[in-house]
Amino acid sequence: MNCAKFEPLIALYVESDLPASEASVVETHLEGCAECREFAAEMRDSQAALKALRTDFVEEVVFQEVRAEVLNRVSMPRKQAAWPRYAIAAMLLMGLWVARLRFVRPAASLDVEPRAAVIATPPVTTVSAPHHRVRSPRVTRRRAFKSEPLLVKIVTDDPQVVIYWLVDQNGG
Amino acid sequence: MQELALLMEAGGVDARDEELIRLVRQAKAGDTAAFETILVRYQRQVLLTALRLLNRNLEDAKDAAQQVFLRLHRSLHQLDENRHFASWLYRITVNVCRDMLRARRPALSLEEAGEVAAAAGEDTIQQDEQRRMIYAALATLPERERTAVVLRDLEGLTTSEVARIMGRSEVTVRSQISNARVKIRKFVIRRQRRPL
Repeated sequence: MNCAKFEPLIALYVESDLPASEASVVETHLEGCAECREFAAEMRDSQAALKALRTDFVEEVVFQEVRAEVLNRVSMPRKQAAWPRYAIAAMLLMGLWVARLRFVRPAASLDVEPRAAVIATPPVTTVSAPHHRVRSPRVTRRRAFKSEPLLVKIVTDDPQVVIYWLVDQNGG
Repeated sequence: MQELALLMEAGGVDARDEELIRLVRQAKAGDTAAFETILVRYQRQVLLTALRLLNRNLEDAKDAAQQVFLRLHRSLHQLDENRHFASWLYRITVNVCRDMLRARRPALSLEEAGEVAAAAGEDTIQQDEQRRMIYAALATLPERERTAVVLRDLEGLTTSEVARIMGRSEVTVRSQISNARVKIRKFVIRRQRRPL
Protein backbone atom coordinates (compact mmCIF):
# COMPACT_ATOMS: atom_id res chain seq x y z
CA MET A 1 0.00 0.00 0.00
CA ASN A 2 1.47 3.38 -0.98
CA CYS A 3 1.33 6.58 1.08
CA ALA A 4 -1.49 8.18 -0.95
CA LYS A 5 -3.78 5.37 0.07
CA PHE A 6 -2.90 6.00 3.73
CA GLU A 7 -4.04 9.63 3.68
CA PRO A 8 -7.77 8.95 4.17
CA LEU A 9 -6.94 6.43 6.89
CA ILE A 10 -4.65 8.89 8.67
CA ALA A 11 -7.42 11.50 8.49
CA LEU A 12 -9.57 9.13 10.50
CA TYR A 13 -6.76 7.81 12.68
CA VAL A 14 -5.88 11.23 14.12
CA GLU A 15 -9.38 11.48 15.60
CA SER A 16 -9.57 7.83 16.72
CA ASP A 17 -12.24 7.10 14.12
CA LEU A 18 -10.64 3.89 12.90
CA PRO A 19 -11.37 0.39 14.21
CA ALA A 20 -8.49 -1.05 16.24
CA SER A 21 -7.40 -3.41 13.49
CA GLU A 22 -7.03 -0.61 10.92
CA ALA A 23 -5.49 1.74 13.47
CA SER A 24 -2.67 -0.71 14.15
CA VAL A 25 -1.95 -0.95 10.40
CA VAL A 26 -1.70 2.85 10.23
CA GLU A 27 0.55 2.98 13.29
CA THR A 28 2.88 0.43 11.78
CA HIS A 29 3.07 2.44 8.56
CA LEU A 30 3.68 5.71 10.40
CA GLU A 31 6.61 4.21 12.28
CA GLY A 32 8.42 3.65 9.01
CA CYS A 33 7.26 6.63 6.92
CA ALA A 34 8.44 10.17 7.73
CA GLU A 35 6.30 11.68 4.97
CA CYS A 36 3.15 10.21 6.45
CA ARG A 37 4.19 11.27 9.94
CA GLU A 38 4.43 14.83 8.63
CA PHE A 39 1.04 14.44 6.97
CA ALA A 40 -0.41 13.20 10.27
CA ALA A 41 1.09 16.16 12.14
CA GLU A 42 -0.39 18.63 9.63
CA MET A 43 -3.69 16.82 9.88
CA ARG A 44 -3.66 17.17 13.66
CA ASP A 45 -2.95 20.91 13.29
CA SER A 46 -5.78 21.51 10.83
CA GLN A 47 -8.11 19.41 12.99
CA ALA A 48 -7.20 21.53 16.01
CA ALA A 49 -7.99 24.67 14.00
CA LEU A 50 -11.27 23.15 12.84
CA LYS A 51 -12.29 22.12 16.36
CA ALA A 52 -11.50 25.61 17.63
CA LEU A 53 -14.75 26.61 15.93
CA ARG A 54 -16.55 24.67 18.65
CA THR A 55 -16.17 27.71 20.87
CA ASP A 56 -18.02 29.91 18.41
CA PHE A 57 -20.65 32.06 19.93
CA VAL A 58 -23.56 34.10 18.69
CA GLU A 59 -24.78 37.26 20.35
CA GLU A 60 -27.80 36.71 22.60
CA VAL A 61 -29.72 39.32 20.63
CA VAL A 62 -29.62 37.02 17.60
CA PHE A 63 -31.23 34.20 19.58
CA GLN A 64 -33.82 36.65 20.84
CA GLU A 65 -34.66 37.68 17.28
CA VAL A 66 -35.06 34.07 16.19
CA ARG A 67 -37.24 33.24 19.21
CA ALA A 68 -39.40 36.31 18.77
CA GLU A 69 -39.98 35.57 15.10
CA VAL A 70 -40.80 31.91 15.75
CA LEU A 71 -43.14 32.64 18.65
CA ASN A 72 -44.83 35.37 16.66
CA ARG A 73 -45.41 33.05 13.74
CA VAL A 74 -46.66 30.12 15.82
CA SER A 75 -49.13 32.29 17.69
CA MET A 76 -50.51 34.23 14.70
CA PRO A 77 -51.93 31.26 12.75
CA ARG A 78 -53.82 30.10 15.81
CA LYS A 79 -55.66 33.39 15.99
CA GLN A 80 -56.37 33.36 12.29
CA ALA A 81 -57.27 29.72 12.14
CA ALA A 82 -60.52 30.04 14.07
CA TRP A 83 -62.45 32.47 11.94
CA PRO A 84 -62.33 30.56 8.63
CA ARG A 85 -63.83 27.57 10.39
CA TYR A 86 -66.63 29.67 11.76
CA ALA A 87 -67.15 31.29 8.36
CA ILE A 88 -67.38 27.89 6.65
CA ALA A 89 -69.81 26.64 9.28
CA ALA A 90 -71.95 29.76 8.86
CA MET A 91 -71.95 29.37 5.07
CA LEU A 92 -72.98 25.73 5.38
CA LEU A 93 -75.82 26.65 7.69
CA MET A 94 -76.96 29.38 5.28
CA GLY A 95 -76.78 26.93 2.39
CA LEU A 96 -78.92 24.45 4.27
CA TRP A 97 -81.41 27.16 5.10
CA VAL A 98 -81.65 28.33 1.46
CA ALA A 99 -81.98 24.73 0.23
CA ARG A 100 -84.73 24.15 2.72
CA LEU A 101 -86.56 27.24 1.52
CA ARG A 102 -86.28 26.26 -2.11
CA PHE A 103 -86.85 22.56 -2.06
CA VAL A 104 -88.66 21.63 1.10
CA ARG A 105 -92.31 22.56 1.03
CA PRO A 106 -94.35 22.65 4.18
CA ALA A 107 -96.07 19.30 4.40
CA ALA A 108 -98.57 17.96 6.80
CA SER A 109 -98.64 14.34 7.64
CA LEU A 110 -101.86 12.46 7.78
CA ASP A 111 -102.13 12.40 11.49
CA VAL A 112 -100.34 15.51 12.49
CA GLU A 113 -101.75 19.00 12.66
CA PRO A 114 -101.93 21.24 10.71
CA ARG A 115 -104.00 19.53 8.08
CA ALA A 116 -103.72 22.17 5.39
CA ALA A 117 -101.25 24.76 4.40
CA VAL A 118 -101.35 27.71 2.09
CA ILE A 119 -98.42 29.63 0.80
CA ALA A 120 -99.16 33.15 -0.26
CA THR A 121 -97.57 36.48 -0.69
CA PRO A 122 -99.06 39.62 0.77
CA PRO A 123 -101.89 40.18 0.61
CA VAL A 124 -102.36 36.90 2.33
CA THR A 125 -104.32 34.23 0.52
CA THR A 126 -105.69 31.45 2.59
CA VAL A 127 -107.73 28.36 2.34
CA SER A 128 -109.63 28.84 5.45
CA ALA A 129 -112.04 25.99 5.65
CA PRO A 130 -110.50 22.91 7.00
CA HIS A 131 -112.00 19.69 5.76
CA HIS A 132 -113.06 16.97 8.04
CA ARG A 133 -111.75 14.44 5.65
CA VAL A 134 -108.07 13.86 5.83
CA ARG A 135 -106.34 14.77 2.64
CA SER A 136 -102.98 15.72 1.36
CA PRO A 137 -102.13 19.34 1.86
CA ARG A 138 -102.75 21.49 -1.14
CA VAL A 139 -100.09 23.93 -1.86
CA THR A 140 -100.48 26.93 -4.05
CA ARG A 141 -97.67 29.22 -4.83
CA ARG A 142 -97.75 32.59 -6.37
CA ARG A 143 -95.01 34.47 -7.99
CA ALA A 144 -93.61 36.92 -5.64
CA PHE A 145 -91.22 39.72 -6.00
CA LYS A 146 -87.94 38.69 -4.61
CA SER A 147 -87.89 41.64 -2.36
CA GLU A 148 -91.22 40.78 -0.77
CA PRO A 149 -91.39 38.46 2.15
CA LEU A 150 -93.29 35.20 1.67
CA LEU A 151 -96.10 34.72 4.11
CA VAL A 152 -97.22 31.21 4.88
CA LYS A 153 -100.51 30.79 6.66
CA ILE A 154 -101.21 27.43 8.22
CA VAL A 155 -104.79 26.72 9.13
CA THR A 156 -105.53 24.06 11.62
CA ASP A 157 -108.69 22.20 12.51
CA ASP A 158 -109.15 24.55 15.39
CA PRO A 159 -110.35 27.86 13.93
CA GLN A 160 -108.85 29.59 16.92
CA VAL A 161 -105.36 28.44 15.94
CA VAL A 162 -103.81 29.91 12.81
CA ILE A 163 -100.09 29.87 12.25
CA TYR A 164 -98.37 32.58 10.20
CA TRP A 165 -94.82 32.00 8.92
CA LEU A 166 -93.01 34.97 7.39
CA VAL A 167 -90.10 34.02 5.14
CA ASP A 168 -87.54 36.40 3.68
CA GLN A 169 -87.00 35.25 0.08
CA ASN A 170 -83.70 37.01 -0.16
CA GLY A 171 -82.17 34.40 2.07
CA GLY A 172 -82.33 36.39 5.23
CA MET B 1 -41.13 6.30 32.96
CA GLN B 2 -41.10 3.70 30.21
CA GLU B 3 -40.91 6.49 27.63
CA LEU B 4 -38.04 8.08 29.51
CA ALA B 5 -36.20 4.77 29.63
CA LEU B 6 -36.61 4.34 25.88
CA LEU B 7 -35.46 7.90 25.29
CA MET B 8 -32.34 7.34 27.35
CA GLU B 9 -31.65 4.09 25.51
CA ALA B 10 -31.95 5.94 22.21
CA GLY B 11 -29.14 8.36 22.69
CA GLY B 12 -27.34 8.30 26.01
CA VAL B 13 -29.01 11.49 27.10
CA ASP B 14 -28.75 13.19 30.44
CA ALA B 15 -31.22 13.37 33.27
CA ARG B 16 -32.69 16.61 31.96
CA ASP B 17 -34.54 14.66 29.31
CA GLU B 18 -37.28 13.88 31.80
CA GLU B 19 -37.84 17.61 31.82
CA LEU B 20 -37.74 17.60 28.01
CA ILE B 21 -40.49 14.98 27.82
CA ARG B 22 -42.62 17.08 30.14
CA LEU B 23 -41.94 20.20 28.06
CA VAL B 24 -42.81 18.44 24.83
CA ARG B 25 -46.07 17.19 26.32
CA GLN B 26 -46.94 20.67 27.54
CA ALA B 27 -46.03 22.19 24.19
CA LYS B 28 -48.22 19.60 22.46
CA ALA B 29 -51.07 20.74 24.66
CA GLY B 30 -50.56 24.30 23.41
CA ASP B 31 -48.38 25.65 26.19
CA THR B 32 -46.40 28.42 24.44
CA ALA B 33 -44.13 28.94 27.45
CA ALA B 34 -43.08 25.27 27.31
CA PHE B 35 -42.37 25.60 23.60
CA GLU B 36 -40.28 28.70 24.27
CA THR B 37 -38.29 26.78 26.88
CA ILE B 38 -37.54 24.14 24.23
CA LEU B 39 -36.44 26.94 21.88
CA VAL B 40 -34.06 28.34 24.46
CA ARG B 41 -32.64 24.90 25.19
CA TYR B 42 -31.93 24.01 21.55
CA GLN B 43 -31.42 27.40 19.90
CA ARG B 44 -27.64 27.27 20.13
CA GLN B 45 -27.44 23.79 18.63
CA VAL B 46 -29.71 24.71 15.73
CA LEU B 47 -28.37 28.19 14.97
CA LEU B 48 -24.67 27.32 15.19
CA THR B 49 -25.09 24.17 13.11
CA ALA B 50 -26.96 26.20 10.51
CA LEU B 51 -24.28 28.89 10.62
CA ARG B 52 -21.58 26.30 9.91
CA LEU B 53 -23.53 24.58 7.19
CA LEU B 54 -24.49 27.85 5.48
CA ASN B 55 -21.01 29.26 5.02
CA ARG B 56 -21.25 31.46 8.07
CA ASN B 57 -24.05 33.56 6.64
CA LEU B 58 -25.81 34.79 9.78
CA GLU B 59 -29.01 35.95 8.07
CA ASP B 60 -29.38 32.61 6.30
CA ALA B 61 -28.66 30.79 9.55
CA LYS B 62 -31.38 32.78 11.31
CA ASP B 63 -33.83 31.95 8.55
CA ALA B 64 -32.87 28.30 8.77
CA ALA B 65 -33.23 28.23 12.56
CA GLN B 66 -36.67 29.80 12.30
CA GLN B 67 -37.71 27.22 9.72
CA VAL B 68 -36.43 24.40 11.92
CA PHE B 69 -38.37 25.57 14.97
CA LEU B 70 -41.51 26.27 12.95
CA ARG B 71 -41.26 22.76 11.52
CA LEU B 72 -40.81 21.47 15.05
CA HIS B 73 -43.94 23.30 16.14
CA ARG B 74 -45.95 21.91 13.22
CA SER B 75 -44.72 18.39 14.02
CA LEU B 76 -45.28 18.54 17.77
CA HIS B 77 -48.53 16.60 17.66
CA GLN B 78 -46.87 13.69 15.86
CA LEU B 79 -43.55 13.89 17.67
CA ASP B 80 -42.51 10.57 19.12
CA GLU B 81 -41.29 11.26 22.63
CA ASN B 82 -39.21 8.11 22.45
CA ARG B 83 -37.14 9.51 19.64
CA HIS B 84 -33.83 11.15 20.44
CA PHE B 85 -34.92 14.75 20.27
CA ALA B 86 -31.52 16.36 19.60
CA SER B 87 -30.80 13.97 16.72
CA TRP B 88 -34.21 14.68 15.26
CA LEU B 89 -33.52 18.43 15.44
CA TYR B 90 -30.10 17.95 13.82
CA ARG B 91 -31.74 16.07 10.97
CA ILE B 92 -34.30 18.82 10.42
CA THR B 93 -31.53 21.45 10.56
CA VAL B 94 -29.44 19.56 8.02
CA ASN B 95 -32.43 19.16 5.70
CA VAL B 96 -33.42 22.82 5.92
CA CYS B 97 -29.85 24.00 5.28
CA ARG B 98 -29.45 21.53 2.42
CA ASP B 99 -32.63 22.87 0.79
CA MET B 100 -31.41 26.44 1.19
CA LEU B 101 -28.01 25.60 -0.30
CA ARG B 102 -29.49 23.66 -3.18
CA ALA B 103 -31.64 26.65 -4.02
CA ARG B 104 -28.35 28.36 -4.76
CA ARG B 105 -25.30 26.24 -5.44
CA PRO B 106 -23.49 23.38 -3.71
CA ALA B 107 -20.10 24.78 -2.77
CA LEU B 108 -17.89 27.78 -3.26
CA SER B 109 -14.79 27.87 -5.40
CA LEU B 110 -11.48 28.63 -3.75
CA GLU B 111 -11.67 32.23 -5.00
CA GLU B 112 -15.19 32.66 -3.64
CA ALA B 113 -14.13 31.07 -0.37
CA GLY B 114 -11.56 33.81 -0.08
CA GLU B 115 -14.37 36.33 -0.39
CA VAL B 116 -16.29 34.54 2.35
CA ALA B 117 -13.27 34.73 4.60
CA ALA B 118 -12.89 38.43 3.92
CA ALA B 119 -16.57 39.15 4.46
CA ALA B 120 -16.66 37.10 7.65
CA GLY B 121 -13.96 39.32 9.06
CA GLU B 122 -16.28 42.28 8.88
CA ASP B 123 -18.98 40.87 11.13
CA THR B 124 -18.89 40.64 14.88
CA ILE B 125 -19.03 36.84 15.32
CA GLN B 126 -15.38 35.95 14.88
CA GLN B 127 -12.28 38.04 14.31
CA ASP B 128 -9.74 35.32 14.40
CA GLU B 129 -7.87 34.77 11.10
CA GLN B 130 -7.51 31.04 11.57
CA ARG B 131 -11.19 30.62 12.19
CA ARG B 132 -12.04 32.60 9.08
CA MET B 133 -9.69 30.38 7.13
CA ILE B 134 -11.38 27.23 8.41
CA TYR B 135 -14.80 28.62 7.58
CA ALA B 136 -13.54 29.40 4.11
CA ALA B 137 -12.26 25.82 3.85
CA LEU B 138 -15.65 24.46 4.93
CA ALA B 139 -17.30 26.58 2.25
CA THR B 140 -15.36 24.78 -0.47
CA LEU B 141 -16.55 21.33 0.59
CA PRO B 142 -19.38 19.47 -1.11
CA GLU B 143 -22.54 19.75 0.95
CA ARG B 144 -22.51 16.19 2.32
CA GLU B 145 -18.83 16.28 3.29
CA ARG B 146 -19.36 19.60 5.04
CA THR B 147 -22.39 18.24 6.89
CA ALA B 148 -20.54 15.10 7.95
CA VAL B 149 -17.48 16.94 9.25
CA VAL B 150 -19.50 19.66 10.97
CA LEU B 151 -21.60 17.11 12.82
CA ARG B 152 -18.61 14.91 13.71
CA ASP B 153 -15.87 17.42 14.48
CA LEU B 154 -17.76 20.55 15.52
CA GLU B 155 -20.91 19.11 17.07
CA GLY B 156 -18.96 16.19 18.50
CA LEU B 157 -21.39 13.47 17.44
CA THR B 158 -20.25 9.91 16.88
CA THR B 159 -19.92 8.55 13.36
CA SER B 160 -22.97 6.34 13.88
CA GLU B 161 -25.03 9.32 15.07
CA VAL B 162 -23.93 11.33 12.02
CA ALA B 163 -24.85 8.40 9.78
CA ARG B 164 -28.30 8.18 11.37
CA ILE B 165 -28.91 11.91 11.00
CA MET B 166 -27.75 11.98 7.38
CA GLY B 167 -29.54 8.78 6.48
CA ARG B 168 -26.36 7.18 5.16
CA SER B 169 -24.30 4.13 6.09
CA GLU B 170 -21.46 4.51 8.58
CA VAL B 171 -18.96 3.48 5.91
CA THR B 172 -20.17 6.25 3.60
CA VAL B 173 -20.13 8.85 6.35
CA ARG B 174 -16.66 7.82 7.50
CA SER B 175 -15.43 8.28 3.93
CA GLN B 176 -17.06 11.72 3.72
CA ILE B 177 -15.50 12.77 7.01
CA SER B 178 -12.08 11.57 5.86
CA ASN B 179 -12.35 13.38 2.51
CA ALA B 180 -13.44 16.57 4.25
CA ARG B 181 -10.52 16.50 6.71
CA VAL B 182 -7.98 15.91 3.94
CA LYS B 183 -9.41 18.81 1.91
CA ILE B 184 -9.43 21.14 4.90
CA ARG B 185 -5.81 20.30 5.59
CA LYS B 186 -4.89 21.01 1.96
CA PHE B 187 -6.75 24.32 2.08
CA VAL B 188 -4.99 25.34 5.27
CA ILE B 189 -1.55 24.37 3.92
CA ARG B 190 -2.18 26.27 0.69
CA ARG B 191 -3.30 29.38 2.58
CA GLN B 192 -0.35 29.26 4.95
CA ARG B 193 2.14 28.95 2.08
CA ARG B 194 0.47 31.60 -0.06
CA PRO B 195 2.72 34.66 -0.47
CA LEU B 196 1.30 37.83 1.01
